[in-house]
Amino acid sequence: MNLKKMNKGLDFLRDKYGAAKGEITIKDGHCYVGATPLLPGRMERKIIELKKMTENGTLEGVSTLRFASFAAKDTDAKAMLAKELDLAALLGGSDVVRVMAVANGPAINVLAKLANDVNVSVEIGTGLPKGELGYDRHEIIAKRGVACDQTVDTHTPHASIRCWDEKGAVEYTDVDTELFGLTYEEIWNVRAAFALLQGRASAKIWKAAWAKAVKAADLAFKSDAAKAAKTIALKKGPNTNEAIKTSEVR
Amino acid sequence: MKPVKIAMMGMTHGHTRKYYQTLMDNKKLDWVASCAQDEDAKKVYELYKTGVPCYLDPEEMYKAHPDIEAVVIASANDRHFEQMKWCAEKGIHILSMKIPTFDMREYDEMIAMCDKAGIVCQIELEMHYNAVVQRLKKLIKEGAVGKIKAIQMTNITLSPVWAFPWQGDPKASFGSVQHLKKGDPRYKGGALCDHPHIFDLIRHLTGSDFDYIYAEVAPNLRDGLKVEDMLMAIGKMKDGTSFLFDPSWSRLEEKIKVPGPGWERFPKRMEVNVTITGEKGMLTCDCFGPNVYHNGAPNDRYTVQYTYFDEWIGLIDEFVACIREHKTPMINLKWHKQTIQSMLGCYESIQTGKIAKI
Repeated sequence: MNLKKMNKGLDFLRDKYGAAKGEITIKDGHCYVGATPLLPGRMERKIIELKKMTENGTLEGVSTLRFASFAAKDTDAKAMLAKELDLAALLGGSDVVRVMAVANGPAINVLAKLANDVNVSVEIGTGLPKGELGYDRHEIIAKRGVACDQTVDTHTPHASIRCWDEKGAVEYTDVDTELFGLTYEEIWNVRAAFALLQGRASAKIWKAAWAKAVKAADLAFKSDAAKAAKTIALKKGPNTNEAIKTSEVR
Repeated sequence: MKPVKIAMMGMTHGHTRKYYQTLMDNKKLDWVASCAQDEDAKKVYELYKTGVPCYLDPEEMYKAHPDIEAVVIASANDRHFEQMKWCAEKGIHILSMKIPTFDMREYDEMIAMCDKAGIVCQIELEMHYNAVVQRLKKLIKEGAVGKIKAIQMTNITLSPVWAFPWQGDPKASFGSVQHLKKGDPRYKGGALCDHPHIFDLIRHLTGSDFDYIYAEVAPNLRDGLKVEDMLMAIGKMKDGTSFLFDPSWSRLEEKIKVPGPGWERFPKRMEVNVTITGEKGMLTCDCFGPNVYHNGAPNDRYTVQYTYFDEWIGLIDEFVACIREHKTPMINLKWHKQTIQSMLGCYESIQTGKIAKI
């Protein structure tokens, strides 16, 4: 991630729309504003749309979440799992209360339970060649309707542009005109920082949500070693799984 | 920068609702008023609860808000001329919907009156502010596929006629009542009039003008529609680029009065897809994808839910910059004239069965 470009993008948004001062920093590969960890996954447009579907009646009676995330070699699998478990709590609308995992080399498969009884499966893999962008999938299965951020009947992700030039095929997926030129990961970190500085996202909520996610991911790895599911006690406090305000133009 | 006092007029165009969030969010704008064409349009407008006052008479709006600097003209095509005239006479800057008019005499008068008034008149071709189109233009400019040899583009959608009836009315959409061709009961004013983007985008990508165009209409998909809903066009640009366009309403819809979830019957409401063959390679492009997908409420069928919303943000940013910095919009009346002429060329070709020179 290019912090200089990201903070330039953040300044552009702050100047255009108005927001408190602040800058993005990176610690152990994770982005922060001040002491608040950013939750860029919660800002991804596709996740926002999936969350809307769980709240506006498009989906009724969520039963199971099936998630997957694959990244290049040497990516921090625990951080990847924490992100996915945070998204599970967000999209499932309830905290993770139990995890059981089986790990082997660069892969870990996790079966988790939310407090509202929803099941969550997460596949994590860090075996892609270096330089690959990675791939993820979030599927919500409900009594009424299934929603997913990957198309049906294919297991390859869709890209906006596929260009066959003299060297071979190259794919591009651009998702944000105002932050054009930043990578996918950079864009959602900037959007997360901006949401925080605008007060649409709460530092208190995000700190609590990320702490829960990191703890659940840590316990998942321990459950593999122990060959036994790990239980997580529900914490009292504010609901950390609510959507933040976004526009709606349908 | 002092915020631009902006208003909306008409409120009957299919894109009307897409401006609301941007007009409210953008600090460089102060959205002060709206003026609906009639009570029905006002009722629909009020469903969105913008909190911005809505009038039925432009003069009444102007009396209450004499500081209006700019207007988004969001009305039927046959109302654009009178509304542009109203704005020009008051020195109000204009953001016009994508078809200013198909009447070339009116079109030239529009250019003249905007020039005389010294106002900005930007045409709404929002695809230019789509992040995928930005990448597409960059790749072509950098020569990723070499000189363009051929382009295929779709601008295919559901039909908005049930929610916006003027789009199925030949007079309101095309500006005059003209049969498509001899012996055909249908009139000009349908899908073609709704889809100028591809006719514009090819000019930007190739840097060339239209040479000739040939078009054919197909049988309509929708019973009772007075205007065309299915057509295709092919032709050549002056630099030799050959093209194939599909500007149809080929995706069926539910006949609902107010757009919303469940409008689409085909999973995806709108597709702007591009295939380019160049001297050194080729590319395919989906300007509105990837997205998220579901089969939930209201109709329990496979549906594409869009994740692309940036077009209106960039469009308005450019409009404001043109007003405050006295710049000419990328899509201005003079530039856009040939795009309209190429669309008229399609109708001419349909009528004559021959190519139309542009």
